[in-house]
Amino acid sequence: MKKKIIAIVAVILACVLLYAGYQAFFAPKGSQGSKEVKIQVVIEKENVDRTFTYKTDDEFLTDLLKEKKDELGASFESYDFGTMITGLMNYKVDPNSEFFQFEVNGEVAMVGTDDTPIQDGDVYKFTLTNFN
Amino acid sequence: MKIRDIVLIGILSAATTAGKLALSFIPNVEIVTLFFIVFATTLGVKHSLMISIVFVTTEILIYGFSTWVLGYYLIWPILVLIASTVSKKISSEYGYAVIGALFGFFYGMFFAIAESFFYGPAYGLAYWINGLTFDLIHGTSNFIIVLLLYNPLKRMMDISLKRYFEAC
Repeated sequence: MKKKIIAIVAVILACVLLYAGYQAFFAPKGSQGSKEVKIQVVIEKENVDRTFTYKTDDEFLTDLLKEKKDELGASFESYDFGTMITGLMNYKVDPNSEFFQFEVNGEVAMVGTDDTPIQDGDVYKFTLTNFN
Repeated sequence: MKIRDIVLIGILSAATTAGKLALSFIPNVEIVTLFFIVFATTLGVKHSLMISIVFVTTEILIYGFSTWVLGYYLIWPILVLIASTVSKKISSEYGYAVIGALFGFFYGMFFAIAESFFYGPAYGLAYWINGLTFDLIHGTSNFIIVLLLYNPLKRMMDISLKRYFEAC
């Protein structure tokens, strides 16, 4: 049994070291300090195309969106997989047919706003899109 | 295949589903890996493969049909095949604990490859990196669970199976 306890402790230690390595090299990091970013909201059917410029110290985009919630007319829903943006400019999406497509610097984002670190000069675009 | 085999496959796949649900409140800590390793080393590859197929089908009935189904139908039978193959050479619980750990560490990578067939390699890479911490927990917990529970569970299975096949 003593041998097993040693093996278990060794594996847990290795796991902790690997986790530290993951945090140091792979995990998304937010940069501290003042950053200037743009948030563009496009809702074609409502003739909305607005761009907001913000200076922020927030590390991840969800934090900024929540901070500017009133100005952006934003609403959110929290799920196990992260935060979902259900409304912008006071327009609520129909969850059965629409969503806000999210782009970072012109590229469709691979992760949600929770995991998008805010970088100085980034442009985040939210476009109301139909599933079809 | 005899009726006793069909009943056994049904009971053990139900036990696997129950075991999974019982631990589902702890993310990435599960006893399904332990069960399939024990099944593969006590029941043999044919029965264990069928248990894994019934188990995955039950999962679809519970959670619905999506892209993970493809990976699920592959990954559990692969574990059964690996455990069954190495059982001819390994008898120590340490060997199976290492297999369980490696299975947990590479679980996310396997699903990332399967998902990349649907959504592209960039999505697969993001999916894998995003889940690395969960893979670490999965592999480590698998190692501990298999190391501590493989021998008692195998002994219990050997005795129960002997009684079952004598009675039927």
